[in-house]
Amino acid sequence: ELCSSLAGIMLLEVFLVLGTLLMYFLFSKKKEEMLPFKDGWWGRGQKPVTKEDSSIRPFKVEITEEELSDLFRRLDQARITEPVENSCFHYGTNSVPLRKVVSYWKNQFNWKKQAEVLNKYPQFKTKIQGIDIHFVHVKPPRLTEGQAAKPLLMVHGWPGSFYEFYKIIPLLTDPASHGLGDEHIFEIICPSIPGYGFSEAPHKKDFNSVSAATVFYELMLRLRFNEFYTQGGDWGWLICTNLSQIAPNNVKGLHLNMVSVSKLGLTDLLSILLGRYFPGLFGFQDEDVRRMFPFLKKWLYRILSESGYAHIQATKLDTVGCGLNDSPVGLAAYILEKFSSWTDMEFQNLEDGIPESREFSLDDLLSNIMIYWVSGCIVSSMRFYRENLGKGIGTQKHEK
Amino acid sequence: QAILCLPRSFEYSQKNAVLVPVAALGVGGMLLYWLRSGRKIKTIDMGDGWWGSGERPLQGKEDTSIRPFKIETSDKEIEDLHQRLDRFRFTPHVEGAAFHYGFNSSYLRKVVAYWRNQFDWGKQVEVLNRYPHFHTTIEGIDIHFIHVKPPYVPHGRAVQPLLMVHGWPGSFYEFYKIIPLLTEPAKHGLNEGDVVFEVICPSIPGYGFSEASHQQGFDSIATARIFHKLMNRLGFKKYYVQGGDWGSRITTNMAQMLPQSVKGLHLNLVFIARQGLGRLICTMLGAYVPWLVGFSREDARRFYPFMQKNVYDVLRESGYLHIQATKPDTAGCGLNDSPVGLAAYILEKFSTWTDKSFLHKDDGGLESKYSLDELLTNVMIYWVTSSIVSSMRYYKENFAKDPDLRAHSRVGVYVPTGIAAFPQEIVHVPRIWAKDVYKNIISYSYMPRGGHFAAFEEPKLLAQDIMQFVQKVEQL
Repeated sequence: ELCSSLAGIMLLEVFLVLGTLLMYFLFSKKKEEMLPFKDGWWGRGQKPVTKEDSSIRPFKVEITEEELSDLFRRLDQARITEPVENSCFHYGTNSVPLRKVVSYWKNQFNWKKQAEVLNKYPQFKTKIQGIDIHFVHVKPPRLTEGQAAKPLLMVHGWPGSFYEFYKIIPLLTDPASHGLGDEHIFEIICPSIPGYGFSEAPHKKDFNSVSAATVFYELMLRLRFNEFYTQGGDWGWLICTNLSQIAPNNVKGLHLNMVSVSKLGLTDLLSILLGRYFPGLFGFQDEDVRRMFPFLKKWLYRILSESGYAHIQATKLDTVGCGLNDSPVGLAAYILEKFSSWTDMEFQNLEDGIPESREFSLDDLLSNIMIYWVSGCIVSSMRFYRENLGKGIGTQKHEK
Repeated sequence: QAILCLPRSFEYSQKNAVLVPVAALGVGGMLLYWLRSGRKIKTIDMGDGWWGSGERPLQGKEDTSIRPFKIETSDKEIEDLHQRLDRFRFTPHVEGAAFHYGFNSSYLRKVVAYWRNQFDWGKQVEVLNRYPHFHTTIEGIDIHFIHVKPPYVPHGRAVQPLLMVHGWPGSFYEFYKIIPLLTEPAKHGLNEGDVVFEVICPSIPGYGFSEASHQQGFDSIATARIFHKLMNRLGFKKYYVQGGDWGSRITTNMAQMLPQSVKGLHLNLVFIARQGLGRLICTMLGAYVPWLVGFSREDARRFYPFMQKNVYDVLRESGYLHIQATKPDTAGCGLNDSPVGLAAYILEKFSTWTDKSFLHKDDGGLESKYSLDELLTNVMIYWVTSSIVSSMRYYKENFAKDPDLRAHSRVGVYVPTGIAAFPQEIVHVPRIWAKDVYKNIISYSYMPRGGHFAAFEEPKLLAQDIMQFVQKVEQL
């Protein structure tokens, strides 16, 4: 009797344990969470009752003489301050090379010609959630028999624009002509983030990266793409990531050239402290170690010394953007500084901030700046920082 | 056996009964002496500097003349300003923004309209020239200052020299309302005993009409030294100093550098370096048992809730500090070219730092405390002198090498100190914490109202506090 009751008890115990394990396993397994769409209305005033106009209208960048002469007058009358001696780019944009840029801008930069370059690719506007969204849509010039072009959504960041992709678009839509293998050919869509360039700025508060992702999702659907790849860096990184979180079934693949994490757990902290000595333990590759350490110097100081702009844009953008929308030289100084130090931190020690063998031509840099200038979008472009970072890093739902 | 030994040791100790107390006295005496002498007051080394352009000239003494100066303007200057105001490119704000995103652009339009059509810079220049201005060259740069003597000194009264130092984004002009209260107190109904002042307000190099440094490294220590030299050149050996914002830092450095020259130090803002664990524990406990950590009830009221007032609010307000301490030339470039941009940037501070609740107002509450004429005059000082960029560089020079402003907090301040704590100041520093640096606080007042720009906003309150402080020092 004792035997059987004991066996019975043991069996019961085994079942209990198994049962508990099973329940635990089932309920604690993280189901793939989807981030909800963030529907909104960003137009002026109240949302109208009538259905939104969903037409896709072709768009061309246009110049007026008045615009140009106003710009030249401002450049002529720019009040520029002398730099402190021997400061290179340590205090920000050095006004000596800035003067050279201004002189080039006035005398050699040809905005009409650059506008033609911008208009090289077909651009469109369409109204989504109350605001006009601008985008570039480039189809491959030729496809081999039976091949389908893969739709690719590429999203820019700050202080960039859709123009950043103009050099890569031909490599992706027509790889064969550029010496690349033509196994994969893409159809490219580069929208402008609302508030940037030729996309209308939202008139309501709280337009953040999830809102932008929702808008772009609607855009892709409107263009009849059910499945697409998406690529991004800077804000583009976050928007594309959100897009994959809200519509995982539509995003075939996500490619990023910048990644940021907003929540550091205990293992992350440990990996910062010990990762240099035990890289394998934390999953770091040699290249990771080379780029990340010494941590304080490369990460913390660098972030602190470079993030002043993000701090002020996340808190007082209406203030800081005001002067930049009124002074093209101020705008150029502000934006060019980023193209210098974010390309290579060592550029700060050069007198003109960008070395002789330029990564970008001055024409390219100024075209990007002109997009901000002619559309008057610098303030609304900064607003994106406030709407995303203003409530604190790590607090947003999508970060969880 | 051990018990048997005891009586033996007691016998010995009878001999030592004399020796031990003597030794103790001796050690005690040496300890006391060491403690007293260890408290020799440390000072900041004065050093020297050269801030002119190029190399310091080897020959020739520096020109030490004091040259009278009058602010001037021209039609050309005003016309250029008007043209820029006319072609300002406005950006609409989001609906319901108030001042939460920075300076509200709808209200800015109204300010620009006033500036363009009603503000009279010529008239304001006359207002500025009401007090005598001077220039003098020190360490290679031209230092601007105003020097106001009391028009009438009653028989037998001593006139106290008082150096008042402004901050950012202010100027010497901030003191224009308080100067008459200090030089002619009786006339303005202030009868704080026998105190009458002779006021000197310099412009920090790089601000307003003081030449900017051409060399790197011009920080508050250099400024303190230059201001000491200035007072010396004006013939003063001992003087009072007063300051808020950067002025607080500079005058504190002055007291640390030459305590024998500073009769008294009065501050309306206290900078303290963040201390470590002890401070943190104090902060946490203070929320529940303020008396235990030395906080008064008023301290607790102003200091808590801690996260909100000292972390979130500070983070929200310190973007400008972050960018100016790292990229001043970038931040200031557009502001020197767009007067509207400059006004928005500067006036935003006059709104939020006067009263934090002004953030919720569409007009930032500016005109409830100041007139547009006053505010724009201050902005014009930055505009006509093109000094916004150099004023921002000051942040980099001071914060970049020493983010906590810690370097001289070990050097205490032993001169008599008076602190006026205004309720809407950006961060409240309780007396017990101020004592870490300011060892000799004679007066600590909780002011009933007022914010960061104390002299500009509440000149009478500040004047009264300065006077009662000086009274106390004079009676020491």
